[in-house]
Amino acid sequence: MPLFGKKKKESKMVGQQAALGQNETTYFGKNLQIKGRVSGNGNLIILGSLNGEFRLKGRLKIAQPAKIKGDVNADVISVNGKVQGSLTAHDSVHLDKTARIEGRINTPKLSIMEGAIFDGEINMGVRAPQPAKSTAADTGRSSQVTPPSAEKPTPR
Amino acid sequence: MGKDSAADSTSLLSKNVRIEGEIEGPENLHVEGYIKGSIQLSGDIFIGNTGIVEADMEAKNIVIQGEVTGNVFAHKQLEIHPSGKLIGDCSAASIDIKEGAVFEGRSNMIQSSGSSAGSSSSGNISATTVPKQHQQ
Repeated sequence: MPLFGKKKKESKMVGQQAALGQNETTYFGKNLQIKGRVSGNGNLIILGSLNGEFRLKGRLKIAQPAKIKGDVNADVISVNGKVQGSLTAHDSVHLDKTARIEGRINTPKLSIMEGAIFDGEINMGVRAPQPAKSTAADTGRSSQVTPPSAEKPTPR
Repeated sequence: MGKDSAADSTSLLSKNVRIEGEIEGPENLHVEGYIKGSIQLSGDIFIGNTGIVEADMEAKNIVIQGEVTGNVFAHKQLEIHPSGKLIGDCSAASIDIKEGAVFEGRSNMIQSSGSSAGSSSSGNISATTVPKQHQQ
């Protein structure tokens, strides 16, 4: 009975995974249900469901059976699942064929593939954004997608 | 990703990512980041070296190599590895605590009904077990 056999019982489930994990892409499988907030740095792929908020500094991929209810904040967002809430990207948003978005998108760069469903409002920072919701504190902040210089200059 | 016992796949929470909330589902989970809240899975949980969990956990097999503060319920086996630390109570059908592990809390063995792979409950409690007397 090796007491010090590191990978003896580990190998059942972790043989490969013991090597991973340090700076890998976070992966939430399709059966994982999260209620709450996910934040951090790094890339993330989600196939499961999330009821809450994402505040990620990195690339976020919302893949096929994923269902997100809440606000999503990341650098690059690629969506192939369902999102009910706002999507705010620092760099770009990409909606794939089977994406379904109900909510707001704030991003400087956007691409939508044919077949995607998007019901909501989009703001790319050209026009001074009108905060739609007055209650959600986040959208106030997220609308700072650096509007270049298009604000009406009314010097007082 | 590694077909295991009950759950099909394993989810991974990497080092710099935090989850604050409740996690549940028929899934395995490998934690290298930070979780606060509660975890209830019908698969296995593996808390890696850099994993920090401040939550109650319930799963089939649980392996702790990082830090866990919370109550832990393993339906089958709980393992605490040398770098692991569990502060909280635990319930398991089988316990394996390796030398060097830290465990502070109460332990409660479950009478497993029909344990198949009779995993040897090699209860080497040569770790610092400080039985706390606190009532829930």
